[in-house]
Amino acid sequence: MDIFLILTINGLATGLLLFMMACGLSIIFGLMGIMNFAHGVFFVIGAYASTWTYALTGSFAVAMLAGIAAGAAIGWLTEITIIRPVYKNPIGQILITLGAFIVINELIKMIWGPNVIASPTPDLLQGEVNILGASISIYRIFIIVFSCLVALVVQLALTKTRLGMIVRAGVENAEMVNILGVNVRRVFALVFILGTGLAALGGTMIGPTMGQIGPFLSSQYLLLGFIVVVIGGMGSFIGSMVAGIIVGLANNYIIWLYPPAAMPLNIILMSVILLVKPTGLMGIKEAV
Amino acid sequence: MLTTKSWLKSPAAWLILAALILLAVLPLVNSSRFVLNMASSIAIAAIFAVSYNLLCGFTGVFSLGHAVFFGSSAYIIGIIMNRLGASPWFFLLATVLAIILAVLLGLFVGYLALRLKAIYYAMVTFAVAELFVITADKWREMTGGQDGLLFQVPSFLAGKFAAYYTVIILFVAVVFFMYRFLDSPTGKILVAIRENETRASALGFNVLRYKLLSNAVAGILACFAGIAYAVLNQFVMPNILDVNQTIGALLMTIVGGMGTLAGPVIGATFITLFGDWLARLAKLHPLLERWPIIFGLLYIIIILTMPGGIMSGYYKLKFWWSRSKQK
Repeated sequence: MDIFLILTINGLATGLLLFMMACGLSIIFGLMGIMNFAHGVFFVIGAYASTWTYALTGSFAVAMLAGIAAGAAIGWLTEITIIRPVYKNPIGQILITLGAFIVINELIKMIWGPNVIASPTPDLLQGEVNILGASISIYRIFIIVFSCLVALVVQLALTKTRLGMIVRAGVENAEMVNILGVNVRRVFALVFILGTGLAALGGTMIGPTMGQIGPFLSSQYLLLGFIVVVIGGMGSFIGSMVAGIIVGLANNYIIWLYPPAAMPLNIILMSVILLVKPTGLMGIKEAV
Repeated sequence: MLTTKSWLKSPAAWLILAALILLAVLPLVNSSRFVLNMASSIAIAAIFAVSYNLLCGFTGVFSLGHAVFFGSSAYIIGIIMNRLGASPWFFLLATVLAIILAVLLGLFVGYLALRLKAIYYAMVTFAVAELFVITADKWREMTGGQDGLLFQVPSFLAGKFAAYYTVIILFVAVVFFMYRFLDSPTGKILVAIRENETRASALGFNVLRYKLLSNAVAGILACFAGIAYAVLNQFVMPNILDVNQTIGALLMTIVGGMGTLAGPVIGATFITLFGDWLARLAKLHPLLERWPIIFGLLYIIIILTMPGGIMSGYYKLKFWWSRSKQK
């Protein structure tokens, strides 16, 4: 029973980090029609920026802020320099975001080296608590609580504010929103920054769960992000949350049973969803 | 299709002929292992890029898992040579198995995912490629995991010259096949699908079936590239299956010119030579070790400013030349 509880808590934590990574992908695609193949590197930018800042300042809150800031700033630069020229060109978008993936990934390797670096758990969040006889790491609980808060804030922003209303309307029909006099381009840029910032925020929390971070995380988490987006449905915020938790839990249970099967299981899950319900669990956009 | 006589008049024909003769006599001029290896690597990259170009350049299908065809066939050769021994018959068996796997894989993944939008296909093939990388990594008894797999090829292919000529003959055969295939009615229909899928479908062509065919043919050609790679290197590692390998082919295709026959060949030559040069520069300064970033930037600049690659520059020059001659 206690092992089940530990796996569930770990799975929830992984799943919520995946959700942070994937919801940006999903909303950017839903609104702008752009599948951001560079999204994985923003996750890694967050991880590196926060680890580096934490080593420098010793404050995890500052480190997280630095991670978000780095992700959002590079996201903004990416948007205005290379995404903007290919708004109307779906093939160009795939190509150019792949190019951004290579360049930013190499930049990360240039700055921090190609090997993994250690990422310690902050002192305040170290240790374990005893819940129902299972010792559960405080850090995982922190991830779960904090991610849920972030999700709540973003959900409120999407449903209660004017910008959120425009975003949701834009996901349904971007052209109509444009005709109604909204500067859609500015909204596009904002959403891109929000998405990359959220991915970076997810990245800031990944380091301490594994004890180390490396450039290899970018393609790994990009793939996991794709899987979550496909299962949850493109353009759906709640969908990415549900799918993130499903993938996270499934991952952790399988890793306990037979580690090499974890990623194949996710990929099979994605294929089944694509076959049975190509729009995903809660998707808005048609996949066919 | 041009007749032989008019074909011989065009400068491109003489260029091709010169290139063929150069490739044929290269071992006589300079038989150092470095030069032959370089020429063979370029030819292998070119076969792979040409096969990738059939999908993305001519059919308009974007796959991020094309390296699976390449890597899995190299692995099949490696595993069979390693397990059963390096006899010519086993090599033949491995080749046949690799081709069968390529066709089945192309049809199966294509059947599942080609009906979806382009972006979904890219994502699904990315996932499939990752599945193969994980298999090659974790199935250590068979594949050697991250350490890779060393093996021998049959003695008639193993020599320096034999390996070179095998690779070059494969390369010439693949390019010639592509030339004929693109001129065939099927090739024209593929281009029609790329240009306007709805119209091609309205004209009565079964779009999914043609895309599947293109996928399978591209798979077989990529599989030849993998076999050539196995013959040349006698070593395989999981990274030949992963998405970076596919992105490399994409880079070559984009730089050379997407949707042209010569583009991927030119791109492969340019990128392989340039990459080798940069990799040697890396010894001078540690920052230069991250030379792929230069390719990444080059790639972005080409997409933004010159989407047609080097070949579009060539066509523009040719157009300008023929116009100025008419005056």
